[in-house]
Amino acid sequence: MHRKTCHRQRLLCGLILLFCFYSGLVNAHAVVTDYSLKTEEVNAGKPAQVKLNFNSSIELGLSQVFLVRTGDVEETLQVRAGQEPGVVFINMPALDAGEYALHYKIFAADGHITEDIIHFTVQP
Amino acid sequence: MEGIADFLDSIIGGIDLICYSLAVGGLTWGLFVVKPWGNVDWQNADKQGQALNILTERAIRLIYQGAFALVIVQLLKILLKIWLMDSILERWPFPEFASTTQFIGGIIRLFLAMALAVFVYYVLRSNANSRQHWFYAVVIALLMIISGAWLVHAAGRFDDRVLLMSLTTVHQVAAATWIGGVFQLVSTWQLTRQKQIPDSYWPASLKRFSRVGMFAIAGILVSGTPMALSYITSWNGFIGTGYGNVLLVKILLLAIALGFAWLNRSAVLEYYSANKQGVFSRVPYYIEAETFVLITLLFTAASLASQPPAIDIPGLTATWGEVLHSFTPRIPRTSSPSHTALLAGEAGRLAIIGQIPSAAATAWSDYNHNIAGIFVTVMSLFAMLSYKKSLAWTRYWPVGFISLGIFILLRADAESWPNGTMGFWESMLKNGEIFQHRIATLLVFLLGGIELRARMTSDPESKLPYVFPVLCAFGGLMLLTHSHVGFQAKSSFLIQIGHTFMGLFALIMAIGRWLELKLDSPGKNIAGFISVFAFFQIGLILIFYREPLY
Repeated sequence: MHRKTCHRQRLLCGLILLFCFYSGLVNAHAVVTDYSLKTEEVNAGKPAQVKLNFNSSIELGLSQVFLVRTGDVEETLQVRAGQEPGVVFINMPALDAGEYALHYKIFAADGHITEDIIHFTVQP
Repeated sequence: MEGIADFLDSIIGGIDLICYSLAVGGLTWGLFVVKPWGNVDWQNADKQGQALNILTERAIRLIYQGAFALVIVQLLKILLKIWLMDSILERWPFPEFASTTQFIGGIIRLFLAMALAVFVYYVLRSNANSRQHWFYAVVIALLMIISGAWLVHAAGRFDDRVLLMSLTTVHQVAAATWIGGVFQLVSTWQLTRQKQIPDSYWPASLKRFSRVGMFAIAGILVSGTPMALSYITSWNGFIGTGYGNVLLVKILLLAIALGFAWLNRSAVLEYYSANKQGVFSRVPYYIEAETFVLITLLFTAASLASQPPAIDIPGLTATWGEVLHSFTPRIPRTSSPSHTALLAGEAGRLAIIGQIPSAAATAWSDYNHNIAGIFVTVMSLFAMLSYKKSLAWTRYWPVGFISLGIFILLRADAESWPNGTMGFWESMLKNGEIFQHRIATLLVFLLGGIELRARMTSDPESKLPYVFPVLCAFGGLMLLTHSHVGFQAKSSFLIQIGHTFMGLFALIMAIGRWLELKLDSPGKNIAGFISVFAFFQIGLILIFYREPLY
């Protein structure tokens, strides 16, 4: 009887340990709910400012935004906080006409780091 | 290393909730079930004083073990977050990280969990019958619970922040009360089996916990419903997003756990009216099965916290039609694109600028899942036949798992060994998804090997048969939290949804098999049928699996 009980104890401990090695989801809690590129065109040859609205407060010091050019070449962009919470402004350099993307890595106030991409076109 | 860091960061959320449940649920167990300080009416209990001391001592042990583990987990959470940021941002995150709510709140919670653990271990343990000392422990625990409110997802939201933080905290405490109480019941049953406490303590504990459990479930529903309505505002959001899908799984798991709770309560009521045997012959095993479900529920809850709420991604929500299309029966794909064709499409599929969806990648994945489905369906049919004594040879059906394991190893990750350019170990360290697939492969080999041996052994006392349901439950947990990392939330969701339902069936299969091994007829037969039927359902989902083009 005692052997059986010890076995059950070991089995329960093993069960908990096994469950500890589960697979996880990518952390993806902070998302962009709106952005200025939806409504405002970016024209070739002119610097532009892009506004991103997040669903969560952002730790800007631990966040990065990259401009992605053809060939997936990335360039770090300057980012500043807006006056409203969750709003971020990005300064973009003058660009040639073509396809681009913003690749952001955001550390949200809830502790999750989110990576995502926004595609956009620079008009001639 | 980013893949591993991200993987471990997700793991730690589930472990945190287990430790939290042990500590917080243990305290509510002590306060409302054991009540060691007074003249407690433990019905028909012999040797009352001594037995009560043993029960109290065991309860306290689980509380401080949970609290000490919580300290370690909280420390690991902070360290992993640092590692994850260093890995993703490719720079040392300090000094910025030191001023974040996550860091400050995490450190405060760590010290409060430490205070609770130290108090329970050094003070409450030696004053176990003092109501006043239990009250002090609750005060420290309350501070720790409140400090955790700044670490939940509601803390980062703009609307109804305080209300959502409060509801999340209440939800956690209610869940911890229930789940921690079930852990204590498992422990109480061990004491009963070891004859350390009189038999009468077992039904008395169940009866007392039954009332506490009902309050806890009410707390879960009262706090969870407004949160769900706040994060999901449409039926489409419930059906067509990862958040809604994981919440649906949580609800289904809750329903299964409540089913076991109802069976337990019925057996207790029978004990005090007529049938004295049910609480000893069935309830301990129902509680073990309930423990499987509740631990899975905790990890699912941790996964839910990693999903963006449906209300925030209306543009990325799948329609009912797209969700149903994922499960529509069709002829399984039995021919695969060549490895060369697959690799040719990968550069375009993975590009950021000028991304081109790869039909070969979709066909490759469909083939993998559909063929795995054929393996599983055939195995499940043989498993059904194995109950007929005249077809004894069909009991070797677990050999199919070994064949399936070889198939998965060769086909799951085309970019890595043996087909791709990445080495076996290199791919596991760099890619969290490949790491998950390799664990799944190992699990499949283990399932086959161990269950085959279990069915061939002639030793009636062998414990090998119990390994299979445990591994199945683990596999179910993996599937419930499986994800395909990608930037396209809708495609990822349509891939995720099939996996989560397979995970749910794997868990049902595990608890069915567990109860088949533990119960007597007719419960044994019903549980066995449910287990094999769930296995068959997994096969069907895999056979009809189709991946979105992305």
